[in-house]
Amino acid sequence: MDIPEPIVTVRNLSKIYAQGEIQVTALNQISLTIAAGEFLTLMGPSGSGKSTLLHIIAGVDRPTSGECLVQGVDVTQLNESELADWRNQNVGFVFQTFNLIPVLTAFENVELPLLLTRLGSAQRRRQVEAVLDLVGLSDRMHHLPRQLSGGQEQRVAIARALVTDPKLVVADEPTGNLDSRSAQEVLGLLQSLSRPAGKTVIMVTHDPKAAAFGSRSIHLEKGELTR
Amino acid sequence: MTLSSFILKNALRNRRRLALSISSVAASLFLLITLQIALRELTNPISDEGSTLRIIVRNKVSLGQPLPARQRQVLEKIPGVAAVSPFTFYGGLYKGDEKFTSFAQFAVDPLRTRELLADARIPQEQYEAWVASQTSCILGRMTAERYGLKVGDRVQFTGQIYPCDLDLTIAGIYQGTADDRNLMFHQKYLDELLGNPGTVGTWWVRAASIAEAPLVTERINRAFANSSAEVRAESERAFVLGFVSMWANIKTLIGGISVVVVFALLLVTVSTMSMAIRERFRELAILKALGFRRRELFAFILAESFGLALAGALLGAGGAWVVFHQLDIQKLTNGLFVMFEVTPRMMGLAFSVAALLGVLAALGPMLTVVRTSVVEGLKTLD
Amino acid sequence: MALPLRYSFRNALVRWRSTSATVLGIALVVFVFVLLQSLAAGIERSSGNTGDPRNLLVVRKGSTAESASLIARQNFQDLRYLPEIARNPQGEPLMAADVLVLVNLPRRQGAGEANVLLRGVTPRGMELRPQVRLAAGRWFEPGHREVVVSAKLARRFEHFDIGQSFRSGSATLTVVGWLEGGGSAFDSECWLDADECRSLFERDMYSSFLIRPRDAAAGEQLMARIEADRRFKLKAEREVDYYRKQTMTAAPIKWLGNFLAVTMSIGAVFAAMNTMYAAVGSRTREIGTLRVLGFRRRSVVLALLLEGGFLALIGGALGCAVAFYWNGYTTATMGFETFSEIVFEFRITPRLVAEGLLFAVMVGLAGTFLPALRAARLPVIAALKSL
Repeated sequence: MDIPEPIVTVRNLSKIYAQGEIQVTALNQISLTIAAGEFLTLMGPSGSGKSTLLHIIAGVDRPTSGECLVQGVDVTQLNESELADWRNQNVGFVFQTFNLIPVLTAFENVELPLLLTRLGSAQRRRQVEAVLDLVGLSDRMHHLPRQLSGGQEQRVAIARALVTDPKLVVADEPTGNLDSRSAQEVLGLLQSLSRPAGKTVIMVTHDPKAAAFGSRSIHLEKGELTR
Repeated sequence: MTLSSFILKNALRNRRRLALSISSVAASLFLLITLQIALRELTNPISDEGSTLRIIVRNKVSLGQPLPARQRQVLEKIPGVAAVSPFTFYGGLYKGDEKFTSFAQFAVDPLRTRELLADARIPQEQYEAWVASQTSCILGRMTAERYGLKVGDRVQFTGQIYPCDLDLTIAGIYQGTADDRNLMFHQKYLDELLGNPGTVGTWWVRAASIAEAPLVTERINRAFANSSAEVRAESERAFVLGFVSMWANIKTLIGGISVVVVFALLLVTVSTMSMAIRERFRELAILKALGFRRRELFAFILAESFGLALAGALLGAGGAWVVFHQLDIQKLTNGLFVMFEVTPRMMGLAFSVAALLGVLAALGPMLTVVRTSVVEGLKTLD
Repeated sequence: MALPLRYSFRNALVRWRSTSATVLGIALVVFVFVLLQSLAAGIERSSGNTGDPRNLLVVRKGSTAESASLIARQNFQDLRYLPEIARNPQGEPLMAADVLVLVNLPRRQGAGEANVLLRGVTPRGMELRPQVRLAAGRWFEPGHREVVVSAKLARRFEHFDIGQSFRSGSATLTVVGWLEGGGSAFDSECWLDADECRSLFERDMYSSFLIRPRDAAAGEQLMARIEADRRFKLKAEREVDYYRKQTMTAAPIKWLGNFLAVTMSIGAVFAAMNTMYAAVGSRTREIGTLRVLGFRRRSVVLALLLEGGFLALIGGALGCAVAFYWNGYTTATMGFETFSEIVFEFRITPRLVAEGLLFAVMVGLAGTFLPALRAARLPVIAALKSL
């Protein structure tokens, strides 16, 4: 049988943080592998630790203990600056609230991560146009975020996540702020990224309908995997 | 929880912003007070009791032109004149000062100074010693303290106007006048050093009574009209105000800057208040939903804005009061400013400006509260 | 890699409603600073612009100002025929004796009285000061009670129009011309015949001598000779040096300008900090997003510093622009050296503008620094936390 190379390997990952005087265990000894090209959905009630797990894999949060290898690199061992570079090159982010920079146009928002690379402006332009075309927003390129609908904003955000051609795309409740039609579009887009385009997509959601778009689903409850 | 503790908690929620806002208001009010003091020092003659009776007689040409010594006999015979003494500004450089000496030296007639400087207090034996020795002088308490001088010390001056130098012994220290800084020595000593030129700088005249003073002034002016040395006699106040007029446009400039400062202050406070309210937009809407009326919301805003401005005033104006009481302004400004006194009037001004600011800064946010409906406010998330 | 400049600029501009107060505040600080310094620059320029580098000015030893100096007439004869002094084609030594008298005169429109400096000059004295030209009317004639007043003073004092007379003490002087000092200290003087001046104001002594030595070496020699000769009690220095040192009037204005600038800027820094903290606070998510995208802390700090600096620069430019309205405007105050009204212009030099802008940027950066650091310390996941 053809076993795909794991892109993410999580071993004994724990995250405990203090909330006031109480110790909260967000993640408790989680182990998990994610194969390249998967569209994995993380589900669970709020407070289950699904977002924390996503954050640690994406290199924006640090675990209390355990390791997290992404493409063979233990992201928990990188320092701040290395992590910043690593994120830029390997991870694309999609947020629930889109998080576009309000003062920059759609084009400029998408171009932003490329400014951290060595690409020349012509090359950048080509890439930005390509991904905006991919998300179907070629005609909205020079609009500011406030001139776009929610669904369009989220598609710009996805374009921004894709523009550096990362192996890993992470999405945290990407449909949480969208109406159902826009949500369908966005989920379809994410789905099309995984197998056909060869990206690994990890999505946090609490909506079973959204999770149905994924190739595999993992449930968390109180910081532990349940299924 | 009471309403006032609620207001206080609200104000203290963003402590850093509160501290910054209060500090900027305080800095501006400190400045306002400083400017007011400077303006007062430049334009307001310092006066004491004796000044109401004193008449200063100078050459009509200008203060720089001397008067003939023989005028004294004429002056003394004018009705209503109680005492006459020469007052010659020597304008020397004190040995030890580099470029500028911040106290004046006057050549006078020691026998008349007690009448002319009625407010000055000096021990009897010191006064007598001064009268007795032609090369001695008396010195104001402020100057004596500043230079650490005491009775018996010798002081030397290089003449910057007159071609002679002074070598004096301090016979006494006086105090109690409006400006205890000056040094006084014998006119006779100066005359001798200069080879008796027969001139003096100005005459100081004491009128017999306050009622008679304006009349005496006129009589003096008339007495020397059409003589070779016409004089200008005027009350001490008018004399000092004459100096003030010479400052010309500088006065206007300082006044203008004060206005600019107040305006800058207004800007800062207004922007802070609107920032504070914007941050709490949602909360105000919730309060509205809970049934608070506009009136109460206004009270919240006004109380906070007012409190902020007054805290700034307390810090800024109070700070100015403390600082200017502690600092040796005379030394810092090279003698340009003497007293640098914060008057109750200035404190009043500072606090009025602050109160006004408090109200003005609250207006914008209050308007927003009026305009915003509950639903809209709740929708605003950030 | 830094964030694009337009990120900083657009953010600065897009929040104009909340930042305008800060920008205006900084503008006012810079305005006051530039205006006062331009006043001092004007005074310094008028005295620094005065004199001929070849001339020597002689005053009494110990006198800091020419107007307060008294020199015996005998000294004129003592010095006049010294070999170091140049001669004109007629063979006369190029040495002048001036008499300075302060007169108290009324200003126009009843704006009080002020002292005006009268200078009694000799023909040689006018020869030695080519800077002074006649702007209107004619020069005074020796032996007549005539005076040529500065055109700039004429606008400020009563009875200073050509043909009018004014009284000072028992003397009556007729204005026959206006002089133009080319932006020098002579623009604050009135000139008349030296002998006439001495007799009118009963002056037995001269105030100063002005000498043209044969050459620079002779000048040095003469200065040393006068300094060393105990009979004279005189001091000679180059005319331009003397005037350049007349800075007593400008000093307190500079002091005031600096004091105001510092105190006001403290207030402005607090205000700028407030604005920038608010900017950082309302953009927590945005800054987190930038960090998630891979921008480093220092890029974020730099972008915010640029934003603050840019805002302050706008304020500074605004302040300079408003101050520039007064550039060249003639004003007057009492000069500390001469004790008389001195006329000068507000001078906003390129250097002052640069200083004003630099000052503004410093205020902006000082106000932005702490908020920017705070922004850099924001945890990256702040971007992912929904509100």
